[in-house]
Amino acid sequence: MIRAAFTLAALALPATLSAQSVAIIHARAMPVSSAPLDDATIILANGHVLSVTAHGAPPPGARVIDAGGHIVTPGLVGAASQLGLTEVLAAADTTDQSVSSGPLGPAFDVQYALNPNSTLLPVARADGLTRAMVFPGAAATAPFSGMGALIRLLPTGDILDRPRAAMFAAVGNGSQSRAGGSRAAQWGLLRNALDEARRYAALPRPSGPRDQLLNRPDVEALAPVIAGTMKLAIQADRESDIRQAIRLAAEEKIHIVLMGGAEAWRAAPELAAAHIPVILDPQADLPQTFDAIGARLDNAALLARAGVTIAFSVSGNGIYLSYDAGIDMREGAGIAVANGLPYADALAAITKGPAAIWGIEHGGTLAPGADADLVIWDGDPLEPASAPLAVLVNGVEASLATRQTALRDRYAPGRQDAMPPAYR
Amino acid sequence: MTRRWFAHALALMGALNLAAVAPARDKEVQQPSLSYLRDIFPSIYRPLPRADTLIVHATILDGAGHRIDDGELLMRDGKVAAIGHDLDRTGATVIDAHGRWVTPGLIDIHSHNGTYVVPLTTIDEKASDVSELSDPNAAGTWIETAINPQDPAFPLALAGGVTTLQVLPGSDPIFGGRSVILHPITATTMQAMKFPGAGQGMKMACGENPKGENAELHRGPTSRQGELTYIREAFERARHYMEDREEGGGDHHGPPGKGHHPMDDNPMLDTLAAVLHGDIPVQMHCYRADEMAVMIDLSHELGFRIAAFHHAVEAYKIAPLLAANHICAAVWSDWWGFKMEALDGIRENAAFVDAAGGCAMMHSDSPFLGQWLNVEAGKAAAAGRRAGLSLPPEHVIAWITSNPARALGLDDRVGSLVPGKHADAVIWSGDPFSVFSRAEMVFIDGAKAYDRADPHYQPGSDFMLGRAPQAAR
Repeated sequence: MIRAAFTLAALALPATLSAQSVAIIHARAMPVSSAPLDDATIILANGHVLSVTAHGAPPPGARVIDAGGHIVTPGLVGAASQLGLTEVLAAADTTDQSVSSGPLGPAFDVQYALNPNSTLLPVARADGLTRAMVFPGAAATAPFSGMGALIRLLPTGDILDRPRAAMFAAVGNGSQSRAGGSRAAQWGLLRNALDEARRYAALPRPSGPRDQLLNRPDVEALAPVIAGTMKLAIQADRESDIRQAIRLAAEEKIHIVLMGGAEAWRAAPELAAAHIPVILDPQADLPQTFDAIGARLDNAALLARAGVTIAFSVSGNGIYLSYDAGIDMREGAGIAVANGLPYADALAAITKGPAAIWGIEHGGTLAPGADADLVIWDGDPLEPASAPLAVLVNGVEASLATRQTALRDRYAPGRQDAMPPAYR
Repeated sequence: MTRRWFAHALALMGALNLAAVAPARDKEVQQPSLSYLRDIFPSIYRPLPRADTLIVHATILDGAGHRIDDGELLMRDGKVAAIGHDLDRTGATVIDAHGRWVTPGLIDIHSHNGTYVVPLTTIDEKASDVSELSDPNAAGTWIETAINPQDPAFPLALAGGVTTLQVLPGSDPIFGGRSVILHPITATTMQAMKFPGAGQGMKMACGENPKGENAELHRGPTSRQGELTYIREAFERARHYMEDREEGGGDHHGPPGKGHHPMDDNPMLDTLAAVLHGDIPVQMHCYRADEMAVMIDLSHELGFRIAAFHHAVEAYKIAPLLAANHICAAVWSDWWGFKMEALDGIRENAAFVDAAGGCAMMHSDSPFLGQWLNVEAGKAAAAGRRAGLSLPPEHVIAWITSNPARALGLDDRVGSLVPGKHADAVIWSGDPFSVFSRAEMVFIDGAKAYDRADPHYQPGSDFMLGRAPQAAR
């Protein structure tokens, strides 16, 4: 019913979409940047949030959307996904998420592979995701995976929001085989790489034949990391690796983000003190590897209580990372709540938290001036059974149609067409 | 040929049914007369210590289609004694479940717990117990002989409200072997977890997994058509095997260990023969609608019974066909796209199967999902409701209780809170389909096996002992 109303309203829109202001009335607003507000009016103009006020009057000429008391949140921000890099995970020729052979390490840059026509993107957007960090998978050479890119799930046009948005590396969990069989080698190579990047920055040419391990593109790619302008995300689960990462951040004076962090709760106060945020999987409660012996469902709650900035990325055996990137984060957030994380912290971990971690200045909240990405939900957004009634990206309502809804409609129960489904 | 075989099978059915119909409750498990079905590793499971228990003031979904508000469930001697209101509480421990929900214990029809044992290491990478890969036909293997009861995933499944699970071999062989049905109560041996009197299933697999594995290992069929032919040939061999044994007056009519052996036992052919007899149903891994339709025709031709298609991401495309053939579909709520045969997955899958009058089930396949089957069902039902279907909680609960019980042939014992059935029940902190709800107490055979509020009822595997402290420093 409500969905139909939205659709009709969208059809009546004039061509100058982004210029027109939009007023969402009767919303239960959850701006994340401030306390929830009932019967709120959210005004969007020129692609930004203008205001969120109780019982506010829509400005003249604005397109009005009646949220009917439903919850409105900022568009969700995926802290770590591989959207745009993966089409069919098992078919290697349809995937671009990692460099599987050759010398490319830190210089591997996913921005060049992003596919805005991937069928995975509309599914994620129809689940409320409007932004995401797209990160490279583990590379052939340890420990660096390469550089990730931020995407914005605009319905049309370029999804690339910011290339070279962070550097990624992976330590432990079996990936040490790529570094000669020991995590000590991984840490050694990682430290050496930063060291070579520093020396190269000071003297931008190799000082002699075979004097450095890294090739020119790799060492140049690390320059912003040592300069402190690019974050280094380290995937690690084991406490010892997490403590190594904390040490590295202090010694090298670089900005580190911890990904995975199954045992991060063991170092929660130190992570908080070092201002190292953690991107974790709230569903990870099994000792999946020997690095994750301490995995537990209240990892998120313990970290948040200690003051660590958290964000969620749910793996689901690797499938959720991309295929259900929107619904999985909400389910993960719900699971975190069921295991002790305050609701507001859980919502922040899929909006404001990842935006803060990746330096998306105007994303992840409905604060005045924020990007006009928001979602009207048919229920509680942290219930994976809920779904968006409407998703607005850059102030424009996006279609919720996906390949899946097309299949759904084609095979809906009770259809009695004389012609086969292919004619529907 | 096939008709002759059908007559043959029907003649044998009578004898087999005796064994099947009197499935000797709990302790007295009768050995079937055919060696094909001899239980070599009999259950020694015993219910945990129990007291008669009355749960009151609960919202009860009985798994048989009913919802009872402010209801009561009486469990006596390990069985459901009564369900309703104002029940006789004489001698029973009373649990006030005000604000809580009660459902039957959940049944995971597709688990790899105990074989996909975490933590995974390079040992598993080299040689995993999920599947036997020396031959595309591993029908002779019994997955129960590989179960590691110390897999930490078992206690977590229990904490997720699971009271019965079927461990299946993997999908890389075409014939994966025999499945086993367990209670997720960590014990020292597999036999002590084994559901007494439960039959086995046989895992078979269609499509990408077996042909891909075969191509990689340079053995076995490398195409879908090759897989089909391979299956026909294997069952043909099994039919001859059965006939030879019948004609030779083999030992399989006598009790185990007696009589002479006119020919060698062949575990592989034993399993296939049991499948042809109709005594072991097939649990078939199949994604695509067209493949499932081909497999259904093949099952008619050869005379075997498919209990369920597993994964079945395209079940919704052939929902009426599945319903007409009484084949259940075990599906995920939202996994899709990760391989070619999974491209057309939709979230309404279970709901559309259900709407056609079919048997929809949620399954896990993963030790993570196996802890959240209730949320899986919640997601799948919500998608169905958005598509206009009426799916009240008392109906949807069947997807994770009575429907999998049916597909396992255990619906006379578990899957619903009907008087006389096993007292397998879960008290949920709230709506069982909500992500915010947790299983607070889990009962198996009337015994409390898990209590979220009491560490004495939180089993842990040996593996987790003596490791780094689990308490925050």
